Amino acid sequence: MEDYRFLFKVVLVGNAGVGKTCLVRRFTQGLFPPGQGATIGVDFMIKTVDINGEKVKLQIWDTAGQERFRSITQSYYRSAHALILVYDVSSQPSFDCLPDWLREIEEYANAKVLRVLVGNKTDREDREIPTYVGEDFAQRNNMYFMETSAKEADNVEKLFMEIAHALIEQAKAREPVPEYKGNPGQSVTLNHRTPSTTSESCCSRLL
Amino acid sequence: MDLIDFSQIKSLQDLDMLEKELDAKDMECDVRIKDLLSNRSDLEFQLRSLSKKLSNLKPVEAESQHFAEVIKSTALLAEDVSAKVRLLDKAKNRVSECQQRVNDLLDLQQCSEGVATAMQNEDYEQAAAHVHRFLTMDETLLKHTARDVSEGRTMDASFHRLHDAENQLKKVVAEKFDEAVKDDDLASVERFFKIFPLLNMHDDGLRRFTNYLSTKLQDSSTKNLNEARLTRETDKRANVIFADTLTLLFEGIARIIEIHQPLIETYYGPGRILSVMEYFQKECDTQSKLIIEEFRKHRDFSKKVQIVSAYLNQRSETKIDAKEVDSVLNELTLLNARTELYARFVRRRVTSDLDISVTDEAEKNAKLKNVDRLLKDGETFRVMQILLGQYILLEQYFMAQSVQKAVELDSLIEGSSDDLFVVTSVTDDVFFIVKKCIKRSLVSQSVDGVCAVINNACGILESDFADLLLNQLRQGFPSGYLDLAQAYSVLQSSLQHGKIQGSDIEKNRTQFVAYLNNTDVSMEYVAALKNSLDKSIQDAFGNNLTPYEKDKITNCLSGLSSVNIRLKSVSEFGFSQLKSSAVKPRVKPWLDAFFHSRTTYEIEEDEFQDDSESMQTLISNLDAFFKSFKVCLSPTTHGTFVSMAVTEIALQMEKVLLKVKFNRIGGLQYDKELRTLMGYLTSSTTWSVRDKFARLTQITILLTLEKVSEVADFWGKGPVAWRLTAQEVRQVLAMRSDFRQEDIRRLKL
Repeated sequence: MEDYRFLFKVVLVGNAGVGKTCLVRRFTQGLFPPGQGATIGVDFMIKTVDINGEKVKLQIWDTAGQERFRSITQSYYRSAHALILVYDVSSQPSFDCLPDWLREIEEYANAKVLRVLVGNKTDREDREIPTYVGEDFAQRNNMYFMETSAKEADNVEKLFMEIAHALIEQAKAREPVPEYKGNPGQSVTLNHRTPSTTSESCCSRLL
Repeated sequence: MDLIDFSQIKSLQDLDMLEKELDAKDMECDVRIKDLLSNRSDLEFQLRSLSKKLSNLKPVEAESQHFAEVIKSTALLAEDVSAKVRLLDKAKNRVSECQQRVNDLLDLQQCSEGVATAMQNEDYEQAAAHVHRFLTMDETLLKHTARDVSEGRTMDASFHRLHDAENQLKKVVAEKFDEAVKDDDLASVERFFKIFPLLNMHDDGLRRFTNYLSTKLQDSSTKNLNEARLTRETDKRANVIFADTLTLLFEGIARIIEIHQPLIETYYGPGRILSVMEYFQKECDTQSKLIIEEFRKHRDFSKKVQIVSAYLNQRSETKIDAKEVDSVLNELTLLNARTELYARFVRRRVTSDLDISVTDEAEKNAKLKNVDRLLKDGETFRVMQILLGQYILLEQYFMAQSVQKAVELDSLIEGSSDDLFVVTSVTDDVFFIVKKCIKRSLVSQSVDGVCAVINNACGILESDFADLLLNQLRQGFPSGYLDLAQAYSVLQSSLQHGKIQGSDIEKNRTQFVAYLNNTDVSMEYVAALKNSLDKSIQDAFGNNLTPYEKDKITNCLSGLSSVNIRLKSVSEFGFSQLKSSAVKPRVKPWLDAFFHSRTTYEIEEDEFQDDSESMQTLISNLDAFFKSFKVCLSPTTHGTFVSMAVTEIALQMEKVLLKVKFNRIGGLQYDKELRTLMGYLTSSTTWSVRDKFARLTQITILLTLEKVSEVADFWGKGPVAWRLTAQEVRQVLAMRSDFRQEDIRRLKL
């Protein structure tokens, strides 16, 4: 048996080309692979992190953004503990699709899943979505928010570590079973604090 | 030795100290002198031997100088020789270069004469051989040489002639090739195909050749598709005819590669398979697209997908029959399986070709990436990815619809003669459906497809199915006077008559028990399903899975353990229902009656009963109670049930007991009775009863004491881990009417 106390499933979704795979690669392998081909189906990676002395195993499912893989990716929503919805700050269309993605999440995911909105590619000069717009969207939809750059390794580690942190808090609040099993009947009530009210809460904006 | 600073001496004491110090140093000097003197003879001996050896060294020096001289001269000589060798080598190279050029010149002459004759005779192989020889020559260098030996004119003419011949030959060979293609003359096609590489036209040759073979492919595929269209419904391959057609296409390509790879390798060299595959992929894409289009049209596929996705998204109520979906699902998995197989074939062929032809790792990796791109983004594979997505959608629909049907058709199942416990049909049916769907997904050979279906299956089990069980158990186990044994006999007769009769209460009880059993059986089924899938996955994929892919499937399969966690909680809920509606209402009056029948535990010695009548009654009540459940609960469920009942008995008994007064004989009497009860319970369960009765046993120890002070012998000592608090000990002691309150108060606990 591997040695860990918590196991959490984290699923990344969002339009094709917003950098989901790069975020995962950056976090799990410390790389930024340029010229990454489109993901086929679903990729998965595992990384064990240490949060206040507790070993936490993160099972990260990196889904394909293209429409034709939708029914594959949808099958992963249900058992996710955290969903990271990614858009590209330099692409208005990727931001415009967020409501569609939220509808999917509402339909397939557990109602209590930890939802995080991530604006990626902050290194780009041609930003189209100002930070406050993303922040506002997250707040209206009761999501955590963070802006990242997988290329510059900006906020990537922080994103996953804070998700792990929040999930531990949740799991502990729901003793005694440490692993949350994605069961709607007995899932924990996630303390969805809005980012604006608690500046120290997980993934509140950090600019 | 340091000088003595007399100015520092200021008193007699200082002087004394100085004297002592000097004395000490004096002694030290004496010791050292003695030491040195004792070494003297030894040193002198060594000096003598040294001077003797010195004389021997002189000739050595002279010899080594001589030796150095010799080495120096040898080195010079060697350098001299190697310079000459280098020179010789250069000369030799020039000679052979010269020979080569002379050969070239001679050949040039010959080639230029030969090519004309060969062309005239239509001996294109010979002509191409001449041109090929000529193309290996270094033209500028030859011209340079020729000028030196003033042969320029004839040679220029030769070159001219050969260039002309080359161009003409290229044109003619291409024309002849096309002509052969037009005439469908395979022998001529192959003849000219072999000539292209001699003229450095490798790419051109491959392109023309694969084009020719592609037309063959197109012909046969068109023919196959036409036949597929006309296949009668009654044909036994009718349901999978498009998968068959696609298979024929892939097999056609594989056969072409099989036949022509040796030809290509011989005349074009290794490392050409990637380009060949890329050429064929274009035709493959066109043809497979046609086949899939026909499949969609013929099977009314798009409409099915549209209806199903609208239904699953709750945008419409329209449904289609699960059976209609069933057969198309089989064909979908086959279509995907063939494509995966073909992709593996292409990858294997190209990789092994690259292994022998490309040595540079970076170049090889770049080419392998091209293969990846070909197999990911090629139209055939994109179309198949879309189909796979739709397969998952339809499979999800099929699974959900079939489960719903199983729920609608749910009925009680008679147990076999060995195990009479009752379940309903839904459990078997649901697990059969889930297993069927996951196993079908294995046919597709797509790891992502399998994972998605497993995920969806877990969803159905964990949500829909577990909810169904929970909702049934929520109806509760109706309490009421009717004994369960009666409910069972009702069940028996209803089974005999093929349907449930009797009152609603009886029906509901049977229903409840059946669902409690369903939940228990389901947990076993989940474990069995996992084992059977592990094996099926191994069978389906064999060694084709990478460790990464294996891991991916394993992680999705672990979703089944979440299902069991959910089922466990459902089962616990069921037992809590049973406890509050069946166990509590029974146990409590029986215990009340037990304590009531013996009016008092303050008894005289002659009133002591070895065989307590009231306990016999209690035990026979319990026995009937347990037995009535034993026949209708599954063995594990019954075990859990008894264990739960035992806990409840101990709890209730303690509650009633604490209200009773005892003297010592009474205590002994109760002790005896409790042992009888525990003896009975131990015999009727596999669980340990002792632990559940630990508190009661300890209470009984207190109730049988002779004196209050004896508590000190037990409390805090010996092997007994006390389950009672100090306050509870006092409370129990107070139940003894023959103990004085003062003594109890005085106890130090």
